[in-house]
Amino acid sequence: MIMRDRVQKAINQKESIAHYNIDIDVSDRKIVTLNGVVDYWKDVVDIGHTAAKVKGVRNVVNDITSKEFELKKEDHSDEINRVKKSGVVESCDVVIIGGGISGCSVARALSQYDLDIVVLEKNSDISEEATKANNGNIHPGTLAKPGSLKAKLNLKGNKMYTQLSKDLNFELKRPGSLIVFYRKKVWRIAKLLKIIKKTGIGHLIWPLRQMMKVPGVKWLNEEAVNKLEPNLIGHPIGGIWMTTMGIVEPHEVCMAFAENAIENGAKFKLDTKVLDINKTDNKITEVITNHSTIKCTYVINCAGVYADAVAEMVDDKFYTIHPRRGAIAIFDKSRKGFINTPCGVIAKTDRTNNTKGGGASLTPEGNMLWGPTAVETPFKEDKSVEAADLDYILNLGSGVTDDIKKNEIITFFSGIRAADYKEDFIIEASETVKGFIHVAGIQSPGLASAPAIAERVEKILLKMDKTIQKKTDFKKTREPVVKFRDLSHEEQDEWIQKNPKYGNIVCRCELITEGEIIDAIHAPLPGTTVDGIKRRTRAGMGRCQGGFCGPKVLEIVARELDKPLTEITLKGSDSYILHKQSR
Amino acid sequence: MDLVVIGGGPAGLAAAIEAKKQGIEKVVIIERDNTLGGILQQCIHDGFGLHRFGKRLSGCEYADNFIVEVENETIEVAYETIVLEITKDKVVYAMNSNEGIVEYYAKTIILAMGCRERTRSQAFIWGTRPSGVLTAGTVQRYINIEGYLPGKKAVILGSGDIGLIMARRMTLEGISVEGVYELMSSPGGLTRNIAQCLVDYDIPLHLSTTVIRIHGQHKLEGVTVAEVDEKRQVIEGTKRYIECDLLVLAVGLIPENELTRQLDIEIDPKTNGPIVDENFMTSMAGVFAAGNVVTVFDLVDYVSLTGEMAGRGAAKYIQGNLELEQDYTEVTPGENVSFVVPQRIRKDNLESKLPLYFRVRQKQENVKVIAKVAETICYQKKHRVVLPPEMLVEELDSQSVKDTNQNIVVNVMGGTL
Repeated sequence: MIMRDRVQKAINQKESIAHYNIDIDVSDRKIVTLNGVVDYWKDVVDIGHTAAKVKGVRNVVNDITSKEFELKKEDHSDEINRVKKSGVVESCDVVIIGGGISGCSVARALSQYDLDIVVLEKNSDISEEATKANNGNIHPGTLAKPGSLKAKLNLKGNKMYTQLSKDLNFELKRPGSLIVFYRKKVWRIAKLLKIIKKTGIGHLIWPLRQMMKVPGVKWLNEEAVNKLEPNLIGHPIGGIWMTTMGIVEPHEVCMAFAENAIENGAKFKLDTKVLDINKTDNKITEVITNHSTIKCTYVINCAGVYADAVAEMVDDKFYTIHPRRGAIAIFDKSRKGFINTPCGVIAKTDRTNNTKGGGASLTPEGNMLWGPTAVETPFKEDKSVEAADLDYILNLGSGVTDDIKKNEIITFFSGIRAADYKEDFIIEASETVKGFIHVAGIQSPGLASAPAIAERVEKILLKMDKTIQKKTDFKKTREPVVKFRDLSHEEQDEWIQKNPKYGNIVCRCELITEGEIIDAIHAPLPGTTVDGIKRRTRAGMGRCQGGFCGPKVLEIVARELDKPLTEITLKGSDSYILHKQSR
Repeated sequence: MDLVVIGGGPAGLAAAIEAKKQGIEKVVIIERDNTLGGILQQCIHDGFGLHRFGKRLSGCEYADNFIVEVENETIEVAYETIVLEITKDKVVYAMNSNEGIVEYYAKTIILAMGCRERTRSQAFIWGTRPSGVLTAGTVQRYINIEGYLPGKKAVILGSGDIGLIMARRMTLEGISVEGVYELMSSPGGLTRNIAQCLVDYDIPLHLSTTVIRIHGQHKLEGVTVAEVDEKRQVIEGTKRYIECDLLVLAVGLIPENELTRQLDIEIDPKTNGPIVDENFMTSMAGVFAAGNVVTVFDLVDYVSLTGEMAGRGAAKYIQGNLELEQDYTEVTPGENVSFVVPQRIRKDNLESKLPLYFRVRQKQENVKVIAKVAETICYQKKHRVVLPPEMLVEELDSQSVKDTNQNIVVNVMGGTL
């Protein structure tokens, strides 16, 4: 049976979508393109997934539309003409599209070489999308699908974080990840896995292959698991502890990569949106942004949810990103130490969704973090949180504790996963366009894999161009950022003597000083919005959520940037906080 | 230091002055702002001091009366100083730009840190997180202290006093207030504020209606409101979209007890503040608490009274005049009472009167406040109407509770007039 028929057969086997009339096209490269109209968005996604699961299908371009939602296509031709007319032209070697964890880690890796690198970010700050909205887990890699690119890079990336956190001075803790068991039957099966792993039999059993590769997995008996986590609900009878699991503040890691890249010569252009990419004889020539034309040789597509739109600009779109929203809730710091490791209960994992379990996790600062949810949405910008999200989150957490109450939540937010239909990473040189590298479909474990993703892109680029030389003066370390709250009283006193601004507390909840805020405003990648300062310093992340420090931060930013208060925004664009003076 | 007062708002000011008056020498107020007065600094509206001074003062004028006394009594004030930590030996670690880290070795401490506002997340409003969503106190600060308007057209969620006051203030400053929305079926603030802030300015009050959604990616574009039933569930078909660029949240105040919790001082879950006794001493001997940090008061006059009580208590403690060993008599909330402050008393420490501060759970008419010790009624008083937003203060005759070891129960009972 040819592939087209196999895809049709797979769709026909599902009652909910079999009745639709779908046009299926299969290219030489085994890319399936789907067209048609269905009633609901969930059916669009379902058909895409069904096609992607067919054996031999390399990826799916899903152009099916739904009657439920109308999605407008953006037309940039007017803006492109304006930019072309303005005649502003720049040039560099490498353009990286996207300033999230992927773009910033790639920038840092490539800044080791003699290359002119420019990172383009459409928002007013880096790490404004999925990078800032995930749970900061550096996964052990157990749950990735065996044989997938995710599985390989997650394992590698996890290991690389230890040295990176030392070199770039960002916080990394390794509490491990714990799955707890309450039922004897299930625990017995779990204990079998221990023998399978020890004897090596697991390598022969396909679904267990990934688990076999993960180091540091410990099986805890009843006494040990309750000692490790005394506050869990009920009385667990056993646990699997994956000790290599780490936790970070994802935006701190992103900032660390970006600052080190900048120190090594990379340039970041914020509020810069890519409108088009031109090529001649199938070779990249230039990128057109909303500000200028940038002549370049290489383009690395790290555009997250817009990676497919960027790929389309070079006529090499062989995947479709279907956005999947994830919401997270953060709890008051007063519960610090309630749990020691990110925990989950095996029974609560929803096996039907494509996102890994989630559960009750922690941040390096000690706040409990529950989630994430996984909701398919047609809108790439829909970062709302719904009642259903919170119900799901509370249900997730209730699997491990009934002591923590809903009213201890201090904030909730969501981000959009950039998922392709194969639900795996796409990191490869374009087969049709010289100089274009895809870094698409980066969803969980994107954060954990980031260093390995960057290394893979590095290898791809070096293979493309054997003339690229390594710098002799690459600075691999980054100076640590002052965290006043973590210093001893003696050290705090010293800092205040050096600079009295460190003696002025602005954020009472998190103990953040004016000195740290000023540092953030004048950092290599300056914080110029209230949220940007929040991410760099933590001011506003506490229980009052900026109610007290908000006006003060606003004032300090305006003063340091010599701008009127009315021009300072919350998160860029038109998110002004103050309208006008009252008199 | 004999006494370290943490917070220079109305509670801290009253406490420091009273302690000085009682003969305590070395008193310091630690204040994080560059002036005294606390939240009163941004309260330019009047209505303060009706009980205490018999006058309608603005918040600033009320505070000034005390600030003048602080200067007269030569009480030390550490401005722009924040308390980082208090140890169990009563060493207070504070910090400011000039001196760096300062250690105060205190004989007694009075916690007067006030309260903070509940946030958008704690009110569980769904949707996005754009600019243009601010708590009422923050809006008040921007308008009254900084001199800026945060928007042009506002919707207010919450009919507590701060929401009502801001409805009027914003209207006077030229911000159009579309309405005040209240989740509960009755208003959250004082009746006189409903009249003077809403009725007088033709601002509609929508009860049993709440904001369920925020719209706007970067900047607030509008909100969706909906009516709710008795169980506070949204009623289908009542959703309404309101275009606005400012959502003001007046959704509750929470006593600020981070330092209290650090000391493992017992907290009353009904007030979210420390359990205090007749002298407003907490479960840690020599550490007292006063004002909104104990429970949120409606009238600053009462805050000052609790401050004075704590100041007197601290003075007695230093002078060795406080009975510290006697068993406590519990003071518990009874029928239709949600909490009582103080939560316990030592009979030997009572002054001639024992003021009890409490709130009712539900509105009731024609009631009697009845305080009982076992089956004996030790106090009763009639009220025509009682409301949750209006705190009740009843002064018991201390003699009436001294004769027995049984707990005091405060009830509000209807149908007795």
